[in-house]
Amino acid sequence: MREVWVVGAAMNRFGKMRESGREAITSVALAALGRAGLEPNSVQHTFLSNCFGVAERQAHLGPLLNTGLGIPEVPSCTIESACSSTSAALHEAFVHVAGGFADVALVAGVEKLSHLNTLAATSYFAMGADYPFETCHGATFPGLYATLANAHQAKFGTTAEELGSVAVKNHANAAMNPHAHFQKPITMEAYLGSPMIASPLRLYDCCPFSDGAAAVVVAAREVTPEPAAEPLVIKASVRSGSIADMHDRPTLTGLPATRFAAEKAFRQAKITPKDVSFLEVHDCFTIAELMALEDLGFTPPGTAGKMTSSGATAIDGHVPVNPSGGLKAKGHPVSATGAGQVVEIFEQFNHEAGGRQVPNVEYALAHNVGATGGSCSVHIFGHR
Amino acid sequence: MAGGAATLHSIEEYRRGYEDEHRLRGFRSACGFVSATWGLRCPRCGRSDFAETDLATTGRLAAFTVQTVPSDEFLNDAPYAYVLVDLDAGGRVAGWMPGIRTEAELAIGKPVHYVPGYKPGLQFGLTSDDTAKSERP
Repeated sequence: MREVWVVGAAMNRFGKMRESGREAITSVALAALGRAGLEPNSVQHTFLSNCFGVAERQAHLGPLLNTGLGIPEVPSCTIESACSSTSAALHEAFVHVAGGFADVALVAGVEKLSHLNTLAATSYFAMGADYPFETCHGATFPGLYATLANAHQAKFGTTAEELGSVAVKNHANAAMNPHAHFQKPITMEAYLGSPMIASPLRLYDCCPFSDGAAAVVVAAREVTPEPAAEPLVIKASVRSGSIADMHDRPTLTGLPATRFAAEKAFRQAKITPKDVSFLEVHDCFTIAELMALEDLGFTPPGTAGKMTSSGATAIDGHVPVNPSGGLKAKGHPVSATGAGQVVEIFEQFNHEAGGRQVPNVEYALAHNVGATGGSCSVHIFGHR
Repeated sequence: MAGGAATLHSIEEYRRGYEDEHRLRGFRSACGFVSATWGLRCPRCGRSDFAETDLATTGRLAAFTVQTVPSDEFLNDAPYAYVLVDLDAGGRVAGWMPGIRTEAELAIGKPVHYVPGYKPGLQFGLTSDDTAKSERP
């Protein structure tokens, strides 16, 4: 198996895009290739994610992207895994390059939903769950994660302030991120005063509906020995799954898919959580960040709330979590989210993160969940 | 059919069960797992050795949320509760409870029962609630 590097990564500012998804992802893909010092004709395969392209009356976006990049003969396919779509696409690109089926692959994700009203966007988000057995009974996506939060609170005594500490931290981080949807800190008072959406989750527990585009270029080490920027070595690229319906799983206080992926990823990278300098985790809701820290093995079950409240996961803490601001504040353009996490890690490794720069980065972990955990990706990156 | 697939009622029959026939259709796997969710193998043990069974229509709340922001099909029903229910004699299903305004009205472990719904969706009511009791099949 060949060593695979991330040699370029780029994203636009998440939030509201004026242009179409097609225009945005073409510009961002070109920027990612530019970071790698590569021309589009270096790409041998494009892995694209655009879950909700139908909201723009568009499917089969891959050939349009490649055509816009001047490489219409390059094969493309669309990878869909709900909110973990582009990390799944990254895994497919990794497999292709590691296995020698391509030397350079483009991973691209884009979503545009801001032209829909909130009710319609909420309906699109819920499509990642099981319609006849979950969402047809009235669950929204916040509602599904809220039931997990309810179970977590009942079992471990997780408090509103502990959930709020995730939101306050991630908004503070996003305030230093020019790519972030929200660039304004919030206070605990503002968090506690925000309206209830699905108890116990308030408005500030929830990620926004964001538009956005992000792209990552992966290449075999042997074909790009001197890339234009400091590359990320992919030390582990793992996908996992678990029972799709939350109510059929053995636990409601964590995501089994995260645990499966983390165990395998740490084995593949030959490191332990203690070696990780910072994490980008899937915090679509504040409870999701707490469960991620527990399921990834960074703190025992039920203790992530106290860990976060203590400041241990702040940028200057013991193990910074979501220095980008996370899905919660950087934003969550579903199909761009996984690639967006890699952009943050790429900027951190290249000392381009400004006020949110994590010092002395050795290893970084990206964790990306599909829907309520039916699918999951964990990637671990290190230096060459 | 390869692998000896179990014959399970269809998703449509599950829905008709609680909408029209006042029953909750499910299956019991040889490994002991009980569920209502459609499949051709048990999601816990992977085997096809399971039998159709009617699940209890009473149970206790396993987890819940009170949604003030509804899904599009429940636009005129908010606030309401989305609930996970541990059914008596096994199986956990998702459903909803109309008329619940605050989380203080519910608690994990509270007894609930199936109520024939006035709209699509598996509906439950608080068993301690006299109004709900009067709606029991």
